[in-house]
Amino acid sequence: MKLNNKILLSNLVLSVVIFVLTSIGMYYLVNDTVYDELDNHLLQHKIDIINQVQGDPASLKEIRKLGGLGSYEWVEINPYDGTVEPNTNSFATIDTVRSPDEASSESYRRLATTISVNDQYYNLNIYEEVAAWQNISMTILLSVLAGLLIWILLLYLLNQMVFDRILTPFYDTVDTLETISDPTDFDERFPDSSTDEIDVLNRALNTMMNEIRSSFEDQKKFIQNASHELLTPLSIIRQKAEKILSRSDQLDRQTLRSANEIQETAVRLSRLSNALLLISRVENKQYELDEQVDIAGVTEKVLEELNDFITLKNISLEKEFSEELSVQGNQELIHSAIYNIVQNAVKFSPEGASITITLNGGAENHEFKVIDEGPGIPEALNGSLFDRFKKGNGRSNELGKNNGTGLGLSLVKSICKLHGFGYRAENKEGAGAEITLRF
Amino acid sequence: MRALVVEDEPLLNEELEEQLLEEQFSVDCAETLQEGRDLVAGDEYDLVLLDLGLPDGNGLELLKMIKKYYDETVVVILTARGEIEDKVKGLELGSDDYLAKPFAMAELRARIHAVLRRRFKISDNEILIGKLLLNLNHMEVSYGGKPIDLTETEYKILRYLVLNKNKTITRIALAEHIWGSKIDDRFSLDFINSHMKNLRKKLSEAGAPELIETVYGVGYKLEAYETEQ
Repeated sequence: MKLNNKILLSNLVLSVVIFVLTSIGMYYLVNDTVYDELDNHLLQHKIDIINQVQGDPASLKEIRKLGGLGSYEWVEINPYDGTVEPNTNSFATIDTVRSPDEASSESYRRLATTISVNDQYYNLNIYEEVAAWQNISMTILLSVLAGLLIWILLLYLLNQMVFDRILTPFYDTVDTLETISDPTDFDERFPDSSTDEIDVLNRALNTMMNEIRSSFEDQKKFIQNASHELLTPLSIIRQKAEKILSRSDQLDRQTLRSANEIQETAVRLSRLSNALLLISRVENKQYELDEQVDIAGVTEKVLEELNDFITLKNISLEKEFSEELSVQGNQELIHSAIYNIVQNAVKFSPEGASITITLNGGAENHEFKVIDEGPGIPEALNGSLFDRFKKGNGRSNELGKNNGTGLGLSLVKSICKLHGFGYRAENKEGAGAEITLRF
Repeated sequence: MRALVVEDEPLLNEELEEQLLEEQFSVDCAETLQEGRDLVAGDEYDLVLLDLGLPDGNGLELLKMIKKYYDETVVVILTARGEIEDKVKGLELGSDDYLAKPFAMAELRARIHAVLRRRFKISDNEILIGKLLLNLNHMEVSYGGKPIDLTETEYKILRYLVLNKNKTITRIALAEHIWGSKIDDRFSLDFINSHMKNLRKKLSEAGAPELIETVYGVGYKLEAYETEQ
């Protein structure tokens, strides 16, 4: 869930809970006030009656006869029957009818008390209708609550707008973070913000990205320098071993074998360093990409270079070059990528198999595709075929026999990344692998 | 044999590459000093054609590097006409020859042959081993006057063994001299065997004795006795 939705929702839930609690509280408060007021009113009536009968005891009879004090109140005066303690006031809310001819009972507040007239006690019950008061209280309650509710909704809508505005820089940062695939390719800066926390976040991210970038670059530079520095000593070791080997008739078998192993290992190491050097040069973007490269021409050149192997393995080539295809990039690198792909296909093809090379220069898909009939891509390598130093687990011996550095396809990958080409490898149905470059 | 062309002018670079390919070299090309350094650092070349005015530095640096590590590499400097100072400096630093631009390809070929003769200590473009005659100029091989029809690869193998006669040449070195170092070595070694088989067959069909000796597990050697030369 998005952050601003989460805040809005929790705000809303909290508001509703507070609203409900307030409603309940308000209800009791208003009711309480209403009954207090009613009770005061009833007491006032009692005082009025006492004053009246004390001034004129004879009027008691009249009051009894008359009964009503107004349209919502009436009075009952009966001889004292002991149900009420003398000189106490007891209030109660009762449902009753004022006169027998009323259809339904209504809610009344009753004050049951006593008065004494000429030293004689009487029960005094004063009734007052609650309904009228309740109407007023409910109206007050409802209007207050309605106001609150409208306020809550308004606040929700306003908050939505305000949060959107306030959180925009935060979401910008999040969106930018999502698009980063390679920290070295990312050269934007997270902008300054007037919100402290976002400012802190963005500054921290900027620092982190710089750190990552520079350590990445350091690492790449290091690999580049290290592989470059290794080349010369390795080459010397190799030449010396070769010199020893060239006088093979003066050596015993043991020395010969050792020298041979030294030479082979040195060769392998220098191949490895060479490949690493090339990859890091590509990753460090040390190549100009401003040439128009004719893919068909490059492919033909590669095939010519590999012709020896294609012929000796009796591989039949099927070329489908539909249209002219020219892309912008670095000729040497593209040549290298295609060379590696085709070499792999030749390497893994069985004797007499066929390799299909398709070049599609149509309007939409500019593709270069190599399909072989070899064993295909091992399961364990699926998805990591283009990664450095990845060879099938357990199959490394089998593959290793004719696999060089294991860096060929990762070189293809970095060349493609530099040029912004797509690359894909998949197994064909039956047997064989299909490698596709999309320009 | 392996050659490196260091020349920043792409058209000339390509032309030189083609010329050397025609001479049955395996060729690597560099257009900058940096690329040249990378290549020289990792591989020993038989021949380097070196332009001095490179966009990212002076080719003389590369010359120093080559002469420091590989005393057998032949370096031919390509200079613009008139730059005597560079020419002199190059020769002092150990370059084997120089060519002033522009030059004819025929001149280049002749110079290359000359320095290679010096490099491999032969006096003629025709090398005779027993009755086997190998012509460096026309890429022809014959035995007892009868021409042997070799493929380009077979010719390259035989030429390399002949030029390095009496020395054991490892299979890796042989593979690199034919296909360069771009090719996967573990992959190419099998192919050396098949080519060698074909070459031996052709030689024996022409009536030649077993000239090429297999040094078990290491490589090959072409035996030539001084008396027969």
